[in-house]
Amino acid sequence: MDKSEILEKVNSIFIDILDNENIVLSNETTANDVEDWDSLNHIQLVVAIEKQFKIRFTSKEIQSWSNVGEVVNSVSLKLN
Amino acid sequence: MNGHINYICKRIEILNPIHSKKLKKNIEFFDDRYDELADAFFKKYLRILQLENKTLDYAIDCYLQMLADVTNETVEFLRTGKYTSTTFEEVNNRVYASPGIMEYYMHGLLMSQFLFKHHYQTLNFFINTLPYYVNTTKSYLEVGVGHGLYLSKALDILDNKTTFTVVDISETSLRFAKHFINDNRVEYNLRDIFDFNNDEKYDFITLGEVLEHVEDPLGLLLKLNDLLSDDGVLFFTTPTNAPAIDHIYLFNNVEEIRDIVRSAGFQIASEMSFLSEDVSVEKAEKYKIAVLYEAFLKKAET
Repeated sequence: MDKSEILEKVNSIFIDILDNENIVLSNETTANDVEDWDSLNHIQLVVAIEKQFKIRFTSKEIQSWSNVGEVVNSVSLKLN
Repeated sequence: MNGHINYICKRIEILNPIHSKKLKKNIEFFDDRYDELADAFFKKYLRILQLENKTLDYAIDCYLQMLADVTNETVEFLRTGKYTSTTFEEVNNRVYASPGIMEYYMHGLLMSQFLFKHHYQTLNFFINTLPYYVNTTKSYLEVGVGHGLYLSKALDILDNKTTFTVVDISETSLRFAKHFINDNRVEYNLRDIFDFNNDEKYDFITLGEVLEHVEDPLGLLLKLNDLLSDDGVLFFTTPTNAPAIDHIYLFNNVEEIRDIVRSAGFQIASEMSFLSEDVSVEKAEKYKIAVLYEAFLKKAET
């Protein structure tokens, strides 16, 4: 799966968890750009992304992402 | 806004922007009383930090480390539906007997009393209700004193002639509380509460966030029922669905807590529940979001 496909799926997860159809993510998107991306939703997003891609993130990964591109990279590294 | 809180918010905005959003919402929620309490607390706390050659930045780092632990534990909890540890021995080795971890954990928890909405609400309920029991309380026992904040409020509120006794299994915790309290009215006991027996009955017992740390919460409540005088009051707090590095007993909902309280021979005099996040009760149940429950209990009439 290439990174654009991963980004698309991650985008759908954000829409679902944050219950906001208008979310359009790019690799540069940060928590400051998405209003409801707070600490509670971050955890829900992590678990939903894991479930979708059937992967497990490490604690270090969960704490270290600063934008969506880094999330996509983590997923890509685990899938490929 | 209180100057220290303002500084903490700005620093966390840089160090943890995702948590910063929640923190800002919490601060907006707090009332005027909060400013007064937080101001008094931070003046005292900063003096203690200074005595230990530590700064507010150190305390902020401790708080963020504790939050990182909670995040990891929560992710694991949502994956499995269980807490990562289930025995006292595990968490004793992992946390209580590890001075390095206890140190940041105590500072982190203490900071959370004024940064987490539900921790502040719980403290506020205690401070508002304890005065009703001043006349009937000649002896006060606190089990699992932790950082000592609740004890410090009891010392302020209760009568000067009241005796104060503390039992805690962690040396680091007792040292921390002694430092924070600095009051020679308190007798400290480094003991497991199950081994504590001095033939005394207490008029008021406080058990703040302890039940989730033991394998047998019913056994602990029965022990405290035995230590309580006939007309005595037990104040306790415990959360549902709250993964943490040292939580071993999982309460899935508030009714499970009430059941155990009744089984231990208590009746509920007053109670409150506070959600740890700004969500509906339905969402809290769906996503297993922590609820902090607290109650003042009396012995059930037989």
